[in-house]
Amino acid sequence: MSPSELSALLPILITAAAASALTAAAGFYSKHGFVAGFTMAAFALSFASIFIAAPAAPIAVSSLLVVDGFALFFMGLIYAAAFAVALLSYGYNGGAGGKHTEYYILLLLSALGAAVLAGSRHFASFFLGLEILSVSLFGLAAYMRSPKGNEAGLKYLVLAGASSAFLVFGMALVYAATGSMEFSAASALATRGGGPLSLAGMALIVAGAGFKLAVVPFHGWTPDVYEGAPAPVGAFIASVSKGAVVAVLMRLMGGSLASGGPLFTFLAAVAVASMFAGNLLALFQENVKRVLAYSSIAHLGYLLVAFLASGSFAAGAVAFYLAAYFVSIIGAFGVVTVLSVNGSDVDSLESYRGLAWRRPLIGAVFTAMLLSLAGIPLTAGFVGKFYLVAAGAASSMWILVLSLALSSVIGFYYYLRIILVLFSPSPRELPAEAEVHPAGSAALMALFAVLVFMGVYPGPFLSLVGAAASGLWQ
Amino acid sequence: MEALFYVSAVVAVIATLRAVTGKNAVHALLYLVVSLLAAALVFYSLGAPFIAALEVIIYAGAIMVLFIFVVMMLNLGPGAERQEKSLLDPRAWAGPALLAFALVAELLYSFSGGGGTAEANAQYINPKAVALTLFGPYFIGVELASLLLLAGLVAAWHLGRREKEATHDSPG
Repeated sequence: MSPSELSALLPILITAAAASALTAAAGFYSKHGFVAGFTMAAFALSFASIFIAAPAAPIAVSSLLVVDGFALFFMGLIYAAAFAVALLSYGYNGGAGGKHTEYYILLLLSALGAAVLAGSRHFASFFLGLEILSVSLFGLAAYMRSPKGNEAGLKYLVLAGASSAFLVFGMALVYAATGSMEFSAASALATRGGGPLSLAGMALIVAGAGFKLAVVPFHGWTPDVYEGAPAPVGAFIASVSKGAVVAVLMRLMGGSLASGGPLFTFLAAVAVASMFAGNLLALFQENVKRVLAYSSIAHLGYLLVAFLASGSFAAGAVAFYLAAYFVSIIGAFGVVTVLSVNGSDVDSLESYRGLAWRRPLIGAVFTAMLLSLAGIPLTAGFVGKFYLVAAGAASSMWILVLSLALSSVIGFYYYLRIILVLFSPSPRELPAEAEVHPAGSAALMALFAVLVFMGVYPGPFLSLVGAAASGLWQ
Repeated sequence: MEALFYVSAVVAVIATLRAVTGKNAVHALLYLVVSLLAAALVFYSLGAPFIAALEVIIYAGAIMVLFIFVVMMLNLGPGAERQEKSLLDPRAWAGPALLAFALVAELLYSFSGGGGTAEANAQYINPKAVALTLFGPYFIGVELASLLLLAGLVAAWHLGRREKEATHDSPG
């Protein structure tokens, strides 16, 4: 490896080294403060090393990985999100008294898998990254070993295994058609029209990735897993694991989707179905985590609108929307996290009645996150959704844009319903509530600041996204 | 060699179907072993004897035998003896044995020089070539695979551990 390759790969190397070091240290020293601090330091260091890697980009590191502006943008997003999740987890896992070394090792490894996906340009690294991510995530989903957690972990394990089988079979078919495992060969063939073999392969890959994205025909597992998994892990599954798969799909097929082709039509149908089904199913849920699960299905549907509108403007829209969605969904799950202690999450809608009067700060943050998910102006979610509509309109995909607008209106109902509960008078008998850990409040405040900043003054972020997206398909 | 490929492929498909549809875990696992052996012969017929050997040693040898032992030991109990007697019923082992016999016959046939040489477009890949590829252009993949194992190990260790003070302890 040359020095420039080494510096380009630094973010991934630091995370991998931290995960190995933490595993080695776990046998000797497992104080929660040290373990959590070490993990957060590793994420911060990986994030900082992106600026060291940037001058070397774009560079291909062996045939497996590529580090370019797009990959670095997503790695930055992944590490920032992982840092926020680690910070939220510290209080959730019992502060200084907790003992959860494996939790943080798995968190490091899943972030590593996601970062590998962001830089993949080869089916082998795609598969390995995805497996590192899924294997760590089912460990995390079942981490509390409560009956619901076990169910969540088992469902995730079985469905991740099934989706990997689809994915690998699809890769094999594409390999049979192209004779190469590199993305460039697959998308070059797809641009030329492909053949039945590569089309079937790509369809299977989309199905496999669709499980991870939880878009509509493949979404059955989502509410159960989000409900059973610990709240910070739910935040991680909803954000990082989806974002990384979006990144790898963009690199694999974003540039080669012929408008009107069979894959395009299929993905458009998936997008419309996800938007409507996600929003309609969320309407009558009484569990906040399940509402967020269905809401995340709808959001991936919105995202597909820009995904299908090819071009670097649309790629920028995808990147910006994902960033906005990351902040809002981690913030929303973060509120559930800070009110809960590990093993028993406060997730029934009723227990949030009057929260805004009892804990004004957390109530305000939750309200802001929900408004952002609904796409109300002055929040990041609004700018993101505006950007999506602009990208869809630029490619004149009117059906998709119309479904986006219509289903967003349906979505207002359940977001406003939660906000209404937050602001209604407190019940007589207050439910027992956990003390909010300062680390959790700090994470929420930071997310809130980013949310408002992105919503009020998106300029700097938009130029960053534009620069990241411009180099994607060259 | 082409016939060798198709025969082992058919054996693999039949054995896998029986493994998936089998109601008795031990019988299903026997079929799975045969399926893996057939897959090894597929690799062999394609000119990759090293991968074929690895398939036999690692999958059919180590992992599956462990599976079978674990499944058989989990069934210990009052009815265990009766159940073990039923395992000796020819209906249980005749199918896998027949398929395995087909594979052995194929192997002997190809060792005796039958079936001609490898296809023109299938080249022989030796262990050195595999090693040079793995630790040359794909060394990052090897490192990633090791981290994947680490993730599996940590997750399995945590979920399989018996906690003394656990409130929600459940077998798993």
